[in-house]
Amino acid sequence: MLQFSTVDKRYPDGHEALKQVSFSLERGEMAFLTGHSGAGKSTLLKLIMLMERATRGQVIVGGQNLSAIHRRQIPYFRRHVGVVFQNHRLLFDRSVYDNVALPLEVAGSNPREIGKRVRAALDKVGLLSKEKLTPIQLSGGEQQRIGIARAVVNKPPLLLADEPTGNLDPALSQEIMKLFADFNRVGVTVLIASHDLELISQMPYRVIELNQGRIVDPGYSD
Amino acid sequence: MSSKRPASPVKKKVASGAQASGPSSALKGYFSNHLKVSKLSFKEQTDRPVATLLTCSVIGIALVLPTLLMILLSNIHAANFDWDGSAQITLFLEQKVTSKEAVELTRKLENRVDVSRIEFLDKDKALDDFKTQFQLESVVDFLDQNPLPHALLVTPSSTLKGVPAIEQLMQQLEALPEVESGLLDALWIQRLKSITSFLERVVVLIALMLALAVLLILGNTIRLAIENRKEEIAVLKLVGGTRPFVCRPFLYMGMLYGLGGSLIAVILTHIVLAILYAPIEALALSYQSNFNLKGLGFDSTLLLIVFGTALGWLGAWLAVRRHLDEIEPT
Ligand SMILES: Nc1ncnc2c1ncn2[C@@H]1O[C@H](COP(=O)(O)OP(=O)(O)OP(=O)(O)O)[C@@H](O)[C@H]1O
Ligand SMILES: [Mg+2]
Repeated sequence: MLQFSTVDKRYPDGHEALKQVSFSLERGEMAFLTGHSGAGKSTLLKLIMLMERATRGQVIVGGQNLSAIHRRQIPYFRRHVGVVFQNHRLLFDRSVYDNVALPLEVAGSNPREIGKRVRAALDKVGLLSKEKLTPIQLSGGEQQRIGIARAVVNKPPLLLADEPTGNLDPALSQEIMKLFADFNRVGVTVLIASHDLELISQMPYRVIELNQGRIVDPGYSD
Repeated sequence: MSSKRPASPVKKKVASGAQASGPSSALKGYFSNHLKVSKLSFKEQTDRPVATLLTCSVIGIALVLPTLLMILLSNIHAANFDWDGSAQITLFLEQKVTSKEAVELTRKLENRVDVSRIEFLDKDKALDDFKTQFQLESVVDFLDQNPLPHALLVTPSSTLKGVPAIEQLMQQLEALPEVESGLLDALWIQRLKSITSFLERVVVLIALMLALAVLLILGNTIRLAIENRKEEIAVLKLVGGTRPFVCRPFLYMGMLYGLGGSLIAVILTHIVLAILYAPIEALALSYQSNFNLKGLGFDSTLLLIVFGTALGWLGAWLAVRRHLDEIEPT
Protein backbone atom coordinates (compact mmCIF):
# COMPACT_ATOMS: atom_id res chain seq x y z
CA MET A 1 0.00 0.00 0.00
CA LEU A 2 2.83 2.33 0.90
CA GLN A 3 6.44 2.19 -0.15
CA PHE A 4 9.37 4.55 0.41
CA SER A 5 12.63 3.84 -1.41
CA THR A 6 15.71 5.86 -0.49
CA VAL A 7 13.75 9.04 0.01
CA ASP A 8 15.51 12.29 0.85
CA LYS A 9 13.67 15.44 1.77
CA ARG A 10 15.55 18.68 1.86
CA TYR A 11 13.60 21.83 2.68
CA PRO A 12 14.27 25.00 0.69
CA ASP A 13 16.32 26.38 3.58
CA GLY A 14 18.73 23.46 3.14
CA HIS A 15 17.57 21.48 6.16
CA GLU A 16 17.61 17.74 5.50
CA ALA A 17 14.49 16.45 7.22
CA LEU A 18 14.62 12.91 5.76
CA LYS A 19 17.65 10.94 4.64
CA GLN A 20 17.62 7.68 2.73
CA VAL A 21 14.27 6.60 4.10
CA SER A 22 13.13 3.18 2.91
CA PHE A 23 10.28 1.13 4.31
CA SER A 24 6.98 -0.26 3.21
CA LEU A 25 3.57 -0.85 4.67
CA GLU A 26 1.36 -3.73 3.56
CA ARG A 27 -2.26 -3.30 2.68
CA GLY A 28 -4.33 -3.56 5.86
CA GLU A 29 -1.30 -3.04 8.09
CA MET A 30 -1.23 -0.62 11.01
CA ALA A 31 1.97 1.00 12.22
CA PHE A 32 3.26 3.76 14.48
CA LEU A 33 5.93 6.24 13.48
CA THR A 34 8.00 7.52 16.39
CA GLY A 35 11.09 9.57 17.01
CA HIS A 36 12.27 12.66 18.84
CA SER A 37 10.85 16.07 18.06
CA GLY A 38 12.25 17.15 14.72
CA ALA A 39 13.03 13.59 13.66
CA GLY A 40 10.97 14.00 10.49
CA LYS A 41 7.69 12.27 11.32
CA SER A 42 5.44 15.06 10.06
CA THR A 43 7.62 15.49 7.01
CA LEU A 44 7.22 11.83 6.14
CA LEU A 45 3.42 12.06 6.39
CA LYS A 46 3.41 15.27 4.31
CA LEU A 47 5.22 13.44 1.54
CA ILE A 48 2.45 10.83 1.48
CA MET A 49 -0.20 13.59 1.32
CA LEU A 50 1.72 15.45 -1.37
CA MET A 51 1.88 18.47 0.89
CA GLU A 52 5.60 18.23 0.20
CA ARG A 53 7.54 16.53 -2.57
CA ALA A 54 10.49 14.18 -2.06
CA THR A 55 13.84 15.64 -3.09
CA ARG A 56 15.16 12.23 -4.09
CA GLY A 57 13.86 8.66 -4.09
CA GLN A 58 10.41 7.30 -4.64
CA VAL A 59 7.19 7.33 -2.70
CA ILE A 60 4.61 4.86 -3.97
CA VAL A 61 1.08 4.90 -2.61
CA GLY A 62 -1.39 2.25 -3.69
CA GLY A 63 0.90 1.38 -6.59
CA GLN A 64 1.11 4.95 -7.81
CA ASN A 65 4.41 6.78 -7.93
CA LEU A 66 3.73 10.16 -6.38
CA SER A 67 6.37 11.95 -8.43
CA ALA A 68 4.19 11.21 -11.48
CA ILE A 69 1.19 13.01 -10.05
CA HIS A 70 0.71 16.43 -11.54
CA ARG A 71 -0.17 19.36 -9.35
CA ARG A 72 -3.69 19.43 -10.79
CA GLN A 73 -4.27 15.79 -9.96
CA ILE A 74 -3.36 16.19 -6.31
CA PRO A 75 -6.96 16.82 -5.15
CA TYR A 76 -8.13 13.56 -6.71
CA PHE A 77 -5.25 11.69 -5.12
CA ARG A 78 -5.95 13.16 -1.68
CA ARG A 79 -9.51 11.87 -1.77
CA HIS A 80 -8.08 8.42 -1.26
CA VAL A 81 -6.04 9.28 1.81
CA GLY A 82 -7.64 10.26 5.11
CA VAL A 83 -5.65 12.47 7.47
CA VAL A 84 -6.05 13.32 11.13
CA PHE A 85 -4.11 16.24 12.58
CA GLN A 86 -2.95 16.96 16.10
CA ASN A 87 -4.96 20.18 16.15
CA HIS A 88 -7.69 18.42 14.13
CA ARG A 89 -8.09 21.42 11.77
CA LEU A 90 -11.86 21.59 12.05
CA LEU A 91 -13.65 24.66 10.69
CA PHE A 92 -15.27 26.48 13.56
CA ASP A 93 -17.72 28.48 11.51
CA ARG A 94 -19.76 25.44 10.52
CA SER A 95 -21.50 22.56 12.16
CA VAL A 96 -20.04 19.18 13.05
CA TYR A 97 -22.13 17.71 10.26
CA ASP A 98 -20.76 20.14 7.66
CA ASN A 99 -17.21 19.54 8.82
CA VAL A 100 -17.50 15.81 8.38
CA ALA A 101 -19.27 16.27 5.05
CA LEU A 102 -16.38 18.29 3.51
CA PRO A 103 -14.50 15.41 1.81
CA LEU A 104 -17.75 14.22 0.23
CA GLU A 105 -18.75 17.67 -0.89
CA VAL A 106 -15.46 18.36 -2.60
CA ALA A 107 -15.86 15.02 -4.38
CA GLY A 108 -19.28 16.10 -5.63
CA SER A 109 -21.36 13.42 -3.92
CA ASN A 110 -25.07 14.07 -3.89
CA PRO A 111 -26.75 15.37 -0.74
CA ARG A 112 -28.61 12.17 0.11
CA GLU A 113 -25.45 10.11 -0.11
CA ILE A 114 -23.59 12.68 1.95
CA GLY A 115 -26.22 12.49 4.69
CA LYS A 116 -25.99 8.73 4.86
CA ARG A 117 -22.22 8.60 5.04
CA VAL A 118 -21.76 11.49 7.44
CA ARG A 119 -24.16 9.88 9.92
CA ALA A 120 -22.41 6.53 9.51
CA ALA A 121 -19.03 8.15 10.22
CA LEU A 122 -20.36 10.10 13.21
CA ASP A 123 -21.96 6.95 14.51
CA LYS A 124 -18.63 5.12 14.29
CA VAL A 125 -16.87 7.73 16.43
CA GLY A 126 -19.86 7.80 18.80
CA LEU A 127 -20.90 11.40 18.20
CA LEU A 128 -24.04 11.04 16.13
CA SER A 129 -26.01 13.14 18.61
CA LYS A 130 -23.67 16.14 18.18
CA GLU A 131 -24.06 16.67 14.45
CA LYS A 132 -25.82 20.04 14.82
CA LEU A 133 -23.31 21.56 17.25
CA THR A 134 -20.26 23.51 16.18
CA PRO A 135 -16.79 22.22 17.06
CA ILE A 136 -16.35 24.95 19.72
CA GLN A 137 -19.11 23.33 21.74
CA LEU A 138 -17.17 20.06 21.95
CA SER A 139 -14.40 18.84 24.24
CA GLY A 140 -10.87 18.26 22.95
CA GLY A 141 -11.41 14.51 22.70
CA GLU A 142 -14.70 14.97 20.89
CA GLN A 143 -13.13 17.41 18.47
CA GLN A 144 -10.43 14.89 17.66
CA ARG A 145 -13.08 12.23 17.05
CA ILE A 146 -14.85 14.58 14.64
CA GLY A 147 -11.51 15.01 12.90
CA ILE A 148 -11.30 11.23 12.58
CA ALA A 149 -14.85 11.00 11.29
CA ARG A 150 -13.97 13.55 8.59
CA ALA A 151 -10.86 11.55 7.67
CA VAL A 152 -12.76 8.29 7.20
CA VAL A 153 -16.10 9.55 5.84
CA ASN A 154 -15.22 8.75 2.23
CA LYS A 155 -13.75 5.37 3.20
CA PRO A 156 -10.14 5.95 2.18
CA PRO A 157 -7.99 2.84 1.96
CA LEU A 158 -5.15 4.67 3.74
CA LEU A 159 -5.49 6.62 6.97
CA LEU A 160 -2.72 8.87 8.30
CA ALA A 161 -2.58 10.60 11.67
CA ASP A 162 -0.04 13.13 12.93
CA GLU A 163 0.06 13.15 16.73
CA PRO A 164 -3.67 12.53 17.00
CA THR A 165 -3.46 12.27 20.79
CA GLY A 166 -0.95 15.05 21.38
CA ASN A 167 -3.36 17.24 23.31
CA LEU A 168 -5.34 14.56 25.10
CA ASP A 169 -5.09 12.89 28.50
CA PRO A 170 -4.08 9.17 28.62
CA ALA A 171 -7.62 7.78 28.91
CA LEU A 172 -8.87 9.81 25.95
CA SER A 173 -5.73 8.96 23.99
CA GLN A 174 -6.36 5.29 24.49
CA GLU A 175 -9.91 5.70 23.24
CA ILE A 176 -8.72 7.47 20.12
CA MET A 177 -6.12 4.79 19.40
CA LYS A 178 -8.79 2.15 19.83
CA LEU A 179 -10.80 3.92 17.14
CA PHE A 180 -7.87 3.69 14.72
CA ALA A 181 -7.50 0.02 15.56
CA ASP A 182 -11.20 -0.45 14.74
CA PHE A 183 -10.74 1.07 11.31
CA ASN A 184 -7.68 -1.06 10.74
CA ARG A 185 -9.70 -4.16 11.62
CA VAL A 186 -12.05 -3.48 8.69
CA GLY A 187 -9.14 -3.30 6.29
CA VAL A 188 -7.91 0.30 6.36
CA THR A 189 -4.13 0.74 6.26
CA VAL A 190 -3.16 3.03 9.16
CA LEU A 191 0.01 5.01 9.86
CA ILE A 192 0.15 7.09 13.04
CA ALA A 193 2.97 9.46 13.99
CA SER A 194 3.23 9.72 17.74
CA HIS A 195 5.83 10.08 20.45
CA ASP A 196 3.58 8.73 23.17
CA LEU A 197 5.80 5.69 23.65
CA GLU A 198 3.93 4.43 26.67
CA LEU A 199 0.65 4.30 24.79
CA ILE A 200 2.28 2.73 21.74
CA SER A 201 3.92 0.00 23.78
CA GLN A 202 0.52 -1.09 25.05
CA MET A 203 -0.62 -1.85 21.52
CA PRO A 204 0.37 -4.81 19.39
CA TYR A 205 1.42 -2.89 16.29
CA ARG A 206 4.58 -2.31 14.35
CA VAL A 207 6.67 0.71 15.40
CA ILE A 208 8.90 2.51 12.91
CA GLU A 209 11.47 4.75 14.55
CA LEU A 210 13.02 7.81 13.00
CA ASN A 211 16.10 9.59 14.28
CA GLN A 212 17.54 12.71 12.67
CA GLY A 213 15.68 11.94 9.48
CA ARG A 214 16.86 8.33 9.24
CA ILE A 215 14.96 5.15 9.96
CA VAL A 216 16.81 3.53 12.86
CA ASP A 217 14.23 0.80 13.41
CA PRO A 218 11.84 -0.25 10.65
CA GLY A 219 9.76 -2.39 13.02
CA TYR A 220 9.54 -5.93 11.80
CA SER A 221 9.01 -5.85 8.05
CA ASP A 222 11.76 -5.01 5.49
CA MET B 1 -14.72 18.15 -13.84
CA SER B 2 -14.56 14.87 -11.98
CA SER B 3 -13.63 13.07 -15.18
CA LYS B 4 -10.07 14.30 -14.86
CA ARG B 5 -9.22 11.96 -12.01
CA PRO B 6 -5.94 10.19 -12.64
CA ALA B 7 -6.19 6.51 -13.28
CA SER B 8 -5.03 5.67 -9.83
CA PRO B 9 -4.75 2.10 -8.62
CA VAL B 10 -5.90 3.41 -5.27
CA LYS B 11 -9.08 4.48 -6.94
CA LYS B 12 -9.82 1.09 -8.36
CA LYS B 13 -9.52 -0.42 -4.95
CA VAL B 14 -12.07 1.97 -3.56
CA ALA B 15 -14.52 1.50 -6.37
CA SER B 16 -17.17 1.08 -3.73
CA GLY B 17 -15.97 4.31 -2.12
CA ALA B 18 -17.04 7.90 -2.27
CA GLN B 19 -17.29 8.34 -6.01
CA ALA B 20 -19.12 5.15 -6.77
CA SER B 21 -22.43 6.75 -7.72
CA GLY B 22 -23.37 7.27 -11.37
CA PRO B 23 -22.97 10.35 -13.53
CA SER B 24 -26.46 11.71 -12.90
CA SER B 25 -25.88 11.67 -9.18
CA ALA B 26 -22.50 13.34 -9.68
CA LEU B 27 -24.24 16.05 -11.69
CA LYS B 28 -26.77 16.44 -8.91
CA GLY B 29 -23.93 16.80 -6.43
CA TYR B 30 -22.30 19.39 -8.65
CA PHE B 31 -25.43 21.52 -8.93
CA SER B 32 -26.34 21.15 -5.32
CA ASN B 33 -22.88 22.43 -4.50
CA HIS B 34 -23.38 25.47 -6.74
CA LEU B 35 -26.72 26.16 -5.12
CA LYS B 36 -25.32 25.74 -1.65
CA VAL B 37 -22.28 27.90 -2.29
CA SER B 38 -24.31 30.70 -3.85
CA LYS B 39 -26.73 30.66 -0.93
CA LEU B 40 -23.85 30.68 1.54
CA SER B 41 -22.15 33.59 -0.24
CA PHE B 42 -25.41 35.51 -0.25
CA LYS B 43 -25.95 34.86 3.42
CA GLU B 44 -22.38 35.78 4.25
CA GLN B 45 -22.77 39.10 2.49
CA THR B 46 -26.13 39.93 4.01
CA ASP B 47 -24.72 39.06 7.42
CA ARG B 48 -22.43 42.06 7.09
CA PRO B 49 -24.87 44.54 5.55
CA VAL B 50 -22.84 47.72 6.05
CA ALA B 51 -19.60 46.43 4.55
CA THR B 52 -21.47 44.80 1.69
CA LEU B 53 -23.55 47.90 0.98
CA LEU B 54 -20.40 50.02 0.95
CA THR B 55 -18.64 47.76 -1.53
CA CYS B 56 -21.73 47.54 -3.74
CA SER B 57 -22.19 51.32 -3.60
CA VAL B 58 -18.64 51.99 -4.71
CA ILE B 59 -19.16 49.64 -7.64
CA GLY B 60 -22.57 51.16 -8.34
CA ILE B 61 -21.21 54.71 -8.43
CA ALA B 62 -18.40 53.63 -10.72
CA LEU B 63 -20.98 52.13 -13.09
CA VAL B 64 -23.34 55.15 -13.05
CA LEU B 65 -21.07 57.59 -14.84
CA PRO B 66 -20.49 55.55 -18.01
CA THR B 67 -24.16 54.58 -17.98
CA LEU B 68 -25.27 58.22 -17.95
CA LEU B 69 -22.81 59.14 -20.70
CA MET B 70 -24.08 56.20 -22.72
CA ILE B 71 -27.64 57.47 -22.32
CA LEU B 72 -26.56 60.96 -23.34
CA LEU B 73 -24.94 59.55 -26.46
CA SER B 74 -27.91 57.46 -27.46
CA ASN B 75 -30.11 60.56 -27.06
CA ILE B 76 -27.81 62.56 -29.30
CA HIS B 77 -27.86 59.77 -31.85
CA ALA B 78 -31.64 59.65 -31.80
CA ALA B 79 -31.92 63.42 -32.19
CA ASN B 80 -29.26 63.44 -34.89
CA PHE B 81 -31.24 60.93 -36.87
CA ASP B 82 -34.21 63.30 -37.08
CA TRP B 83 -32.11 66.28 -38.11
CA ASP B 84 -30.28 64.30 -40.73
CA GLY B 85 -33.36 64.11 -42.91
CA SER B 86 -34.14 67.77 -42.50
CA ALA B 87 -30.89 69.17 -43.84
CA GLN B 88 -31.90 71.95 -46.21
CA ILE B 89 -30.16 73.96 -48.88
CA THR B 90 -31.14 77.59 -49.30
CA LEU B 91 -30.40 78.92 -52.78
CA PHE B 92 -30.23 82.71 -53.15
CA LEU B 93 -30.96 83.72 -56.72
CA GLU B 94 -29.39 86.56 -58.66
CA GLN B 95 -31.11 89.95 -58.13
CA LYS B 96 -32.03 90.17 -61.79
CA VAL B 97 -34.00 86.88 -61.73
CA THR B 98 -37.73 87.61 -61.91
CA SER B 99 -40.51 85.83 -60.06
CA LYS B 100 -41.57 84.07 -63.21
CA GLU B 101 -38.07 82.79 -63.97
CA ALA B 102 -37.75 81.64 -60.41
CA VAL B 103 -40.95 79.61 -60.59
CA GLU B 104 -39.74 78.04 -63.81
CA LEU B 105 -36.44 77.13 -62.20
CA THR B 106 -38.38 75.62 -59.33
CA ARG B 107 -40.30 73.35 -61.69
CA LYS B 108 -37.13 72.32 -63.47
CA LEU B 109 -35.29 71.46 -60.31
CA GLU B 110 -38.24 69.56 -58.89
CA ASN B 111 -37.68 66.93 -61.59
CA ARG B 112 -34.23 66.09 -60.32
CA VAL B 113 -34.03 62.71 -58.60
CA ASP B 114 -31.79 63.98 -55.83
CA VAL B 115 -34.27 66.66 -54.81
CA SER B 116 -37.38 65.78 -52.89
CA ARG B 117 -39.05 69.17 -52.47
CA ILE B 118 -38.54 72.80 -53.40
CA GLU B 119 -40.19 75.79 -51.86
CA PHE B 120 -40.07 79.11 -53.61
CA LEU B 121 -39.63 82.12 -51.33
CA ASP B 122 -40.75 85.22 -53.15
CA LYS B 123 -38.63 88.22 -52.25
CA ASP B 124 -41.60 90.59 -51.92
CA LYS B 125 -43.35 88.26 -49.55
CA ALA B 126 -40.10 87.79 -47.66
CA LEU B 127 -39.81 91.53 -47.21
CA ASP B 128 -43.40 91.74 -45.96
CA ASP B 129 -42.72 88.99 -43.48
CA PHE B 130 -39.61 90.75 -42.42
CA LYS B 131 -41.56 93.95 -41.88
CA THR B 132 -44.30 92.41 -39.77
CA GLN B 133 -42.04 90.14 -37.83
CA PHE B 134 -39.60 92.80 -36.78
CA GLN B 135 -41.95 95.80 -36.89
CA LEU B 136 -39.56 97.71 -39.10
CA GLU B 137 -42.12 99.19 -41.53
CA SER B 138 -40.58 102.65 -41.42
CA VAL B 139 -37.07 101.40 -42.07
CA VAL B 140 -38.13 99.13 -44.90
CA ASP B 141 -40.32 101.81 -46.46
CA PHE B 142 -37.28 104.00 -46.45
CA LEU B 143 -35.57 101.64 -48.92
CA ASP B 144 -36.38 102.43 -52.50
CA GLN B 145 -36.00 98.87 -53.64
CA ASN B 146 -36.22 95.39 -52.11
CA PRO B 147 -32.70 94.33 -51.09
CA LEU B 148 -33.69 90.69 -50.68
CA PRO B 149 -33.17 88.16 -53.48
CA HIS B 150 -35.61 85.43 -54.39
CA ALA B 151 -34.75 82.23 -52.62
CA LEU B 152 -35.41 78.52 -53.10
CA LEU B 153 -35.61 76.16 -50.18
CA VAL B 154 -34.34 72.79 -51.41
CA THR B 155 -34.97 69.62 -49.45
CA PRO B 156 -32.57 66.95 -50.71
CA SER B 157 -33.94 63.54 -51.48
CA SER B 158 -33.70 61.10 -48.60
CA THR B 159 -31.63 58.84 -50.87
CA LEU B 160 -28.75 61.23 -50.34
CA LYS B 161 -26.89 59.87 -47.35
CA GLY B 162 -24.61 62.05 -45.33
CA VAL B 163 -23.44 65.61 -45.44
CA PRO B 164 -20.88 65.17 -48.26
CA ALA B 165 -23.54 63.99 -50.72
CA ILE B 166 -25.73 66.96 -49.85
CA GLU B 167 -22.76 69.30 -50.24
CA GLN B 168 -22.17 67.89 -53.69
CA LEU B 169 -25.77 68.59 -54.65
CA MET B 170 -25.40 72.15 -53.41
CA GLN B 171 -22.30 72.69 -55.52
CA GLN B 172 -24.17 71.50 -58.61
CA LEU B 173 -27.04 73.86 -57.89
CA GLU B 174 -24.70 76.76 -57.20
CA ALA B 175 -23.25 76.30 -60.66
CA LEU B 176 -26.62 77.20 -62.24
CA PRO B 177 -26.58 80.69 -63.81
CA GLU B 178 -29.69 81.86 -61.92
CA VAL B 179 -28.17 81.00 -58.56
CA GLU B 180 -25.97 83.45 -56.81
CA SER B 181 -25.06 81.41 -53.75
CA GLY B 182 -26.17 78.51 -51.62
CA LEU B 183 -26.31 77.94 -47.94
CA LEU B 184 -26.24 74.55 -46.35
CA ASP B 185 -27.58 74.53 -42.83
CA ALA B 186 -25.93 71.18 -42.26
CA LEU B 187 -22.55 72.37 -41.17
CA TRP B 188 -23.57 72.30 -37.56
CA ILE B 189 -24.81 68.74 -38.05
CA GLN B 190 -21.33 67.80 -39.09
CA ARG B 191 -19.88 69.55 -36.09
CA LEU B 192 -22.31 67.77 -33.85
CA LYS B 193 -21.27 64.51 -35.44
CA SER B 194 -17.62 65.05 -34.74
CA ILE B 195 -18.44 66.08 -31.20
CA THR B 196 -20.51 62.94 -30.85
CA SER B 197 -17.77 60.67 -32.10
CA PHE B 198 -15.34 62.42 -29.78
CA LEU B 199 -17.78 61.90 -26.93
CA GLU B 200 -18.10 58.25 -27.87
CA ARG B 201 -14.40 57.80 -27.37
CA VAL B 202 -14.50 59.66 -24.09
CA VAL B 203 -17.29 57.39 -22.92
CA VAL B 204 -15.35 54.28 -23.89
CA LEU B 205 -12.24 55.54 -22.12
CA ILE B 206 -14.12 56.52 -18.98
CA ALA B 207 -15.98 53.21 -19.02
CA LEU B 208 -12.70 51.33 -19.35
CA MET B 209 -11.07 53.22 -16.52
CA LEU B 210 -14.03 52.79 -14.23
CA ALA B 211 -14.29 49.11 -15.12
CA LEU B 212 -10.65 48.82 -14.12
CA ALA B 213 -11.43 50.61 -10.87
CA VAL B 214 -14.27 48.17 -10.20
CA LEU B 215 -11.92 45.26 -10.86
CA LEU B 216 -9.37 46.66 -8.42
CA ILE B 217 -11.96 47.31 -5.72
CA LEU B 218 -13.39 43.84 -6.11
CA GLY B 219 -9.98 42.26 -6.32
CA ASN B 220 -9.04 43.82 -3.02
CA THR B 221 -12.30 42.83 -1.34
CA ILE B 222 -11.92 39.25 -2.52
CA ARG B 223 -8.27 39.20 -1.49
CA LEU B 224 -9.30 40.13 2.05
CA ALA B 225 -11.98 37.44 2.01
CA ILE B 226 -9.37 34.89 0.91
CA GLU B 227 -7.05 36.10 3.65
CA ASN B 228 -9.82 35.63 6.22
CA ARG B 229 -10.54 32.12 5.07
CA LYS B 230 -7.00 30.81 4.72
CA GLU B 231 -7.56 27.88 7.06
CA GLU B 232 -10.76 26.89 5.32
CA ILE B 233 -9.01 26.96 1.96
CA ALA B 234 -6.13 24.88 3.30
CA VAL B 235 -8.51 22.30 4.74
CA LEU B 236 -10.53 22.12 1.53
CA LYS B 237 -7.34 21.49 -0.39
CA LEU B 238 -6.33 18.81 2.11
CA VAL B 239 -9.55 16.86 1.79
CA GLY B 240 -9.31 16.89 -2.00
CA GLY B 241 -11.00 20.10 -3.09
CA THR B 242 -10.13 20.96 -6.69
CA ARG B 243 -9.23 24.46 -7.71
CA PRO B 244 -12.68 25.22 -9.18
CA PHE B 245 -14.31 23.97 -6.01
CA VAL B 246 -12.14 26.08 -3.75
CA CYS B 247 -12.57 29.12 -6.02
CA ARG B 248 -16.33 28.83 -6.30
CA PRO B 249 -17.39 30.70 -3.15
CA PHE B 250 -15.16 33.63 -4.05
CA LEU B 251 -16.42 33.78 -7.62
CA TYR B 252 -19.99 33.82 -6.34
CA MET B 253 -19.00 36.51 -3.90
CA GLY B 254 -17.62 38.63 -6.75
CA MET B 255 -20.72 38.04 -8.85
CA LEU B 256 -23.01 39.04 -6.00
CA TYR B 257 -21.01 42.22 -5.41
CA GLY B 258 -21.23 43.00 -9.12
CA LEU B 259 -24.95 42.29 -9.14
CA GLY B 260 -25.53 44.47 -6.07
CA GLY B 261 -23.37 47.21 -7.59
CA SER B 262 -25.26 47.22 -10.89
CA LEU B 263 -28.63 47.29 -9.10
CA ILE B 264 -27.45 50.34 -7.19
CA ALA B 265 -26.24 51.82 -10.49
CA VAL B 266 -29.71 51.29 -12.02
CA ILE B 267 -31.36 53.07 -9.10
CA LEU B 268 -28.85 55.94 -9.14
CA THR B 269 -29.24 56.37 -12.89
CA HIS B 270 -32.99 56.71 -12.54
CA ILE B 271 -32.56 59.25 -9.77
CA VAL B 272 -30.11 61.33 -11.81
CA LEU B 273 -32.34 61.19 -14.89
CA ALA B 274 -35.34 62.27 -12.83
CA ILE B 275 -33.37 65.25 -11.58
CA LEU B 276 -32.16 66.17 -15.08
CA TYR B 277 -35.47 65.60 -16.82
CA ALA B 278 -37.04 69.03 -16.26
CA PRO B 279 -34.04 71.18 -17.30
CA ILE B 280 -33.44 69.08 -20.42
CA GLU B 281 -37.09 69.33 -21.40
CA ALA B 282 -36.88 73.10 -21.01
CA LEU B 283 -33.70 73.28 -23.07
CA ALA B 284 -35.19 71.15 -25.84
CA LEU B 285 -38.31 73.31 -25.86
CA SER B 286 -36.26 76.47 -26.27
CA TYR B 287 -34.88 74.96 -29.47
CA GLN B 288 -38.47 74.21 -30.53
CA SER B 289 -37.49 70.61 -30.73
CA ASN B 290 -39.93 67.89 -29.86
CA PHE B 291 -36.98 66.15 -28.32
CA ASN B 292 -37.86 63.33 -25.96
CA LEU B 293 -35.36 62.30 -23.29
CA LYS B 294 -34.82 58.57 -23.52
CA GLY B 295 -34.04 57.02 -20.16
CA LEU B 296 -32.62 53.66 -19.15
CA GLY B 297 -34.69 51.16 -21.12
CA PHE B 298 -35.35 47.55 -20.23
CA ASP B 299 -32.61 46.28 -22.55
CA SER B 300 -30.03 48.66 -21.17
CA THR B 301 -31.02 47.80 -17.62
CA LEU B 302 -30.54 44.13 -18.36
CA LEU B 303 -27.26 44.82 -20.11
CA LEU B 304 -26.02 46.88 -17.18
CA ILE B 305 -26.88 44.12 -14.72
CA VAL B 306 -25.27 41.40 -16.82
CA PHE B 307 -22.20 43.55 -17.38
CA GLY B 308 -21.88 44.42 -13.69
CA THR B 309 -22.25 40.81 -12.63
CA ALA B 310 -19.72 39.65 -15.21
CA LEU B 311 -17.33 42.35 -14.05
CA GLY B 312 -17.75 41.12 -10.48
CA TRP B 313 -16.98 37.60 -11.55
CA LEU B 314 -13.90 38.76 -13.46
CA GLY B 315 -12.58 40.78 -10.52
CA ALA B 316 -12.99 37.80 -8.23
CA TRP B 317 -11.41 35.48 -10.76
CA LEU B 318 -8.34 37.71 -11.06
CA ALA B 319 -7.97 37.92 -7.28
CA VAL B 320 -8.47 34.20 -6.84
CA ARG B 321 -5.94 33.44 -9.55
CA ARG B 322 -3.36 35.62 -7.84
CA HIS B 323 -3.92 34.63 -4.24
CA LEU B 324 -5.45 31.19 -4.02
CA ASP B 325 -2.42 29.25 -5.18
CA GLU B 326 -0.31 30.92 -2.53
CA ILE B 327 -2.31 29.14 0.13
CA GLU B 328 -0.97 25.64 0.49
CA PRO B 329 -1.75 23.50 3.51
CA THR B 330 1.16 23.10 5.90
N1 LIG C 1 8.74 23.88 6.01
C1 LIG C 1 9.93 23.61 6.57
N2 LIG C 1 11.01 24.31 6.18
C2 LIG C 1 12.21 24.05 6.72
N3 LIG C 1 12.44 23.13 7.63
C3 LIG C 1 11.41 22.41 8.08
C4 LIG C 1 10.10 22.61 7.56
N4 LIG C 1 9.27 21.74 8.17
C5 LIG C 1 10.03 21.03 9.02
N5 LIG C 1 11.30 21.43 8.96
C6 LIG C 1 12.41 20.85 9.72
O1 LIG C 1 12.52 19.50 9.40
C7 LIG C 1 12.78 18.72 10.56
C8 LIG C 1 11.72 17.65 10.70
O2 LIG C 1 10.50 18.28 10.99
P1 LIG C 1 9.18 17.45 11.29
O3 LIG C 1 8.10 18.43 11.47
O4 LIG C 1 9.02 16.45 10.22
O5 LIG C 1 9.55 16.75 12.66
P2 LIG C 1 8.61 15.88 13.61
O6 LIG C 1 9.28 14.58 13.73
O7 LIG C 1 7.22 15.89 13.10
O8 LIG C 1 8.71 16.68 14.96
P3 LIG C 1 7.58 16.89 16.08
O9 LIG C 1 7.57 15.65 16.88
O10 LIG C 1 8.10 18.04 16.87
O11 LIG C 1 6.33 17.18 15.38
C9 LIG C 1 12.79 19.69 11.72
O12 LIG C 1 14.14 19.94 12.06
C10 LIG C 1 12.15 20.93 11.20
O13 LIG C 1 12.77 22.07 11.75
MG1 LIG D 1 5.40 16.70 13.73
